[in-house]
Amino acid sequence: MPFEVIVGAWVATGLTLFILTFLYQDNPLFKLAEHLYVGVSVGYAIVKTYDTVAVRLIYDPMIEQGDWSLLIPLAIGALMLTRYVPKAAWMSRIAFAFVVGVGSGLAIPRVISSYILKQIEDTVRPLAFLATDGSMTFTYSLLNPASNLNAVVLLVGVVSVLFYFFFSVEHTGPGKAVARTGIIFLMIAFGAAFGYTVMARMSLLIGRLTDLIEYAQPQYGRATWWLLVITVATLIMFHARRKGTEPPQ
Amino acid sequence: MSFAERMLHIDRRIIFLVIGLCTLIPLLYPVGLAIKISPEVKSVYDYIESLPDGSVFLLSLDFDPASKPELYPQAVALLHHAFKKNLRVIGMTLWLPGTGMASEVISRVAREEGKVSGKDYVFLGWSPGASSVIITMGQDLYKAFPTDYNNQPTAELPVLKGVQSLRDVNYVVSLAAGSTGIETWYVFGKDKYKFELGGGCTGVIAPGLYPLLRSGQINGLIGGLRGAAEYEVLIGKKGTAVAGMDAQSATHFAIILLVILCNVFYFLIRTSGKTAGQN
Amino acid sequence: MTLLRRQLPLLITFVTGILFAAQYYIPHPASELMLTSVSKWLQIIAGFALILGVTSLFHIHAVKIRRKEPGWGYSFVLYAGMLGTIVIGLWHGGKETTDGVTTAFGWIYTFMMVPLQGTMFAILAFFIASAAYRSFRARSREAAVLLIAAVIVMMGRVPLGEHLIPISGDITQWILNVLNASVRRAILIGISLGAVALSLKIIFGVERAYLGGGKE
Repeated sequence: MPFEVIVGAWVATGLTLFILTFLYQDNPLFKLAEHLYVGVSVGYAIVKTYDTVAVRLIYDPMIEQGDWSLLIPLAIGALMLTRYVPKAAWMSRIAFAFVVGVGSGLAIPRVISSYILKQIEDTVRPLAFLATDGSMTFTYSLLNPASNLNAVVLLVGVVSVLFYFFFSVEHTGPGKAVARTGIIFLMIAFGAAFGYTVMARMSLLIGRLTDLIEYAQPQYGRATWWLLVITVATLIMFHARRKGTEPPQ
Repeated sequence: MSFAERMLHIDRRIIFLVIGLCTLIPLLYPVGLAIKISPEVKSVYDYIESLPDGSVFLLSLDFDPASKPELYPQAVALLHHAFKKNLRVIGMTLWLPGTGMASEVISRVAREEGKVSGKDYVFLGWSPGASSVIITMGQDLYKAFPTDYNNQPTAELPVLKGVQSLRDVNYVVSLAAGSTGIETWYVFGKDKYKFELGGGCTGVIAPGLYPLLRSGQINGLIGGLRGAAEYEVLIGKKGTAVAGMDAQSATHFAIILLVILCNVFYFLIRTSGKTAGQN
Repeated sequence: MTLLRRQLPLLITFVTGILFAAQYYIPHPASELMLTSVSKWLQIIAGFALILGVTSLFHIHAVKIRRKEPGWGYSFVLYAGMLGTIVIGLWHGGKETTDGVTTAFGWIYTFMMVPLQGTMFAILAFFIASAAYRSFRARSREAAVLLIAAVIVMMGRVPLGEHLIPISGDITQWILNVLNASVRRAILIGISLGAVALSLKIIFGVERAYLGGGKE
């Protein structure tokens, strides 16, 4: 095992354990790791942005390949940075106006096509076939999401939830029944979302503990064991010092 | 305080310990229960299986280190499958913090499968703008990425021969940890440039992608660590995802038990409060 | 002067918005060329926006150190981490590997950034368990429905749950593919209608909050 990998394993394990100490109590080890996290993340972002934007997107095409049209986005980007100069901050509005204008213009037809038209089409199409097909077959397997019964359930769900969120109309009479159906559908969907969120969070923990178990192996110098001892000892020391500085009762 | 009230106000560090043990013990002593394959994961597998040799497969690793445990195993499994099928692999990412990870996973799996950079695969790297990157790639791939991650001019790479834009890509799979991922690839990519799109995602955003799955806008969805485990079983290469499934089972049951207990204690307090009120 | 400061940005938003909304429906080569160029420009401008975001963070912690506010030692750690990463990163030209060999920058990424970010989010697992225990109570019928759906899905998505109660897997699939899909579809349609409405308001100058910066 290369030396820098062993050192890396020790550093990674140490930082992981420092952050896990937060579960016991907020303490200097956690704060150290937390601030290091922000510092390293921002540093990484700065390096990658410089390399990708300044070198690969601007410098190389402009200077090495002579694509001078890129002076325009360079100028617009520079205008954006005037936001920090109070007297010239109004110039940044032009840059923002351009970006937001283009962004909105690009988004409108694409969002309408993808999320509104296509989604409504898929809700209604299975039922349209049912009506015009002429045949009397009605598939009602709940296990097959594309069955006719499920298409009806889907339609009921979509309409009732859309109606529930339509607050301009009072939810009384038959409207109340539709809104209540919508709420039941919503609650089931939120329950499913909670279940999946639990699954996701547990997976993240499983991933980190898998790494800690890997770094407890002899080829990494049993990093996890040693650092666990050091971390617990440090926490006890902090605890004792804090108790020592408390006024006697 | 009654027993139920004391139990409801228990020190949360005890719950932390329970969760920690439920995760650690199955990882150290796995059982290896069978994993059922879901149709949405099988769709992605079947589509890649159906692609002929030399087809262009674009894998966009749109996640950061925070989602590594869920999406990294998906990336490994998909790349093994794609390389085994001799597809031409284009790797990239829309998430800046994930660039190093994306570069590492592609080169590592390629090395294991005996594939060569520039000839069998290319890693384009990251570019700012997400939706703008996709549109530019859809118009002209070489304008979006004039060089690859190793500063090689993309126009000269054998792996990109015949690929002018996203219209020439046979299958795009986005492994997403947020809305900048599958949804962006669809709205700004597939909607206009008409390539086939599949998805892999974290458990947090998976339920929100089912409308796209149902309408066929994405042809398959690999959800979370469970999805990665299913894919590993399908390609016959069990890895970290399958290994984590026992711990997943244990923690889920721990949470279910905690929720049931919480409601039992709550119910006990409510009924004792009612009887006390009646007396 | 007001013309330049107020009307010009609004005019730019209007013209660019209409132009690029219309571009979607015009397949002419000139229109496609315009789209290619401008989307390339947006990539570069997005890079500048990143610089903007990162600078403010720099500034906040610099102030903290200068004023020696409580906890300024940690801001020093932050700065050391940031500057160290930047210097090493630029030294290696922003590359994590050169010819298959990991650079010092790659080492920082693999053994510091990945574990730090990974663990910060992994501890959420503990908090979700604690929160579920303390507050996930069936206070009403609707909450009970939510609870039952959550328990079914949690059981149906793990091998142990499918092993003990095989039907939980099938019910979970039905919940996800039909019930959940219908709700998410309705939410997606609703949010998209709102987003389109907001975009139109921005283009027509009704919504101006995005401009910010500077006096009128």
